[in-house]
Formats: sequence, C-alpha cells, structure tokens
Amino acid sequence: MESDDKIRGLMPLTVELQTFDLMRADLLSSHSGKFALIKGEQFLGAFDSAENAYAEGVAQFGKEPFLVKRIAAEDEVYRNQALALGLINAHI
Amino acid sequence: MPIFDFFHWDKDKGYTLAETGAIIQVNVGLPAALEQFCLRENLVIPTPISGYALIDTGASSSAIHEQIFADFGVQPINHIRMSTPHTKDQWSFVYPAKIQFPGLALLDAPILESFQVVGCDLRWTTFDEKEIIMLLGRDLLKHFLMVYNGVQSDVTLAY
Repeated sequence: MESDDKIRGLMPLTVELQTFDLMRADLLSSHSGKFALIKGEQFLGAFDSAENAYAEGVAQFGKEPFLVKRIAAEDEVYRNQALALGLINAHI
Repeated sequence: MPIFDFFHWDKDKGYTLAETGAIIQVNVGLPAALEQFCLRENLVIPTPISGYALIDTGASSSAIHEQIFADFGVQPINHIRMSTPHTKDQWSFVYPAKIQFPGLALLDAPILESFQVVGCDLRWTTFDEKEIIMLLGRDLLKHFLMVYNGVQSDVTLAY
C-alpha cells in the first residue's frame, strides 16, 4: 500500500484542500468572500483578491504549490457542456 | 468605448466565422508575481505563448491548454469541479496566468491581470493554421459588448 505522503504527492493541493474544508466554517465567519492562502496544513491569511493572495504565496514559497481559494459556503463549478462533450471542434 | 472588429476571412475559403468560430489572438504568460520572483532569483522567464482564443459564451470561466502551464513550470492554485451531463465528480486544476489580447490594445487594462483560468486539454489547429489555446469564457466576456455578425463573418468587441 502506498504511503500517505506518496498518495499526497500524486495530487497537488490535496492536503491544502483538506485543510480548507476543515477550516471552512471558521473562515466563513471571519473572512467570507476573501481569498484564503494555504500551504500544507497552515492557513497563512485572507486577502481581498486572488492576485494578492498569489503574490504573497509566491513571496513565501516561490514556485512551490499552494492553495488560493475564495472563502465561500459553496465551491465554484466550471460549466461548459460543449467542452465536456468534445463538441467544440466537431466536424459534421 | 473602443470598438474592435475581427473579420474572419480566408483568401481561399472566403468567410470563415462559421467554421472556426469567433477567435481572437491571445498571449499567455507568467503571472506578474511569478515573473518578478523569477527576475529576483535569476531564473529564466518563459516567453509568452501566442495563439488564439475561441470566444465561448457557453463556458462559465476561461480555460487554457494545460500543457502550457506545465511547460512554464507554473503550479495550480486550486481545483474546480466540472459540471457535465455525464459526470458530477470530474475535477480540473485552476492556474494563474497573465492573459493579453494584442488585437484589443488592452495592454494596460486591469482585465489582463485576471489570472484564474481552468486547465484543460483543448489545443487544436483550425483549417487555416490558427492554433487555439484558450476558451474565452463569461468571466472575461462580462467586460465586453459583443456582436456576432454571421452574415458578414465578423465579430465586434467593445469594452
């Protein structure tokens, strides 16, 4: 069986997303609508824009992965039926 | 309000808008913060990738060919759930990028720093050798007035 670390290594941001979900209720009460910056299991702050959160992440971690995520009760969903169905470049 | 026309025409085929869809030139580069980091660390800054964006009013967010980020060495900053008729549990990565539209002369506008895009496998080439690397979705289109003139094979954008 693969170790947790190896499994984590296969999917970037898995730990950060788990951390966000664990903290979501607390973050909503204090930082709703802002952007969370999370590295590993550490919450590093809430920012007014994704750009600001990203800039701080790069300043601290360079090119390493970190999470920038809007603090909201529901996660955003990407909707594009044509892309999902492969219809964008179809020839008939 | 600046107005820009994109006439879709080919010397052999004539009007091409119906075949290619509404496409405009796009440059995709490193987000500004990462570019500054590379400068500080004396790292190579990859040359922006040029190609075409397909205007896609059916897409809630803009998407870019994911391999571009791998080539840049840019890490994802988030996941996003994809909604399709067939699956409810498909996820994609979200990446930061600097997006520029040379044909719109918006080089200094804040919209160009709107950098959260979905990574997708979508690169293809039109019959007239235009390489599509981006879907321009409603997250960016919300800034524009657009006229799709199928009769004249022309797309007008204003902001």
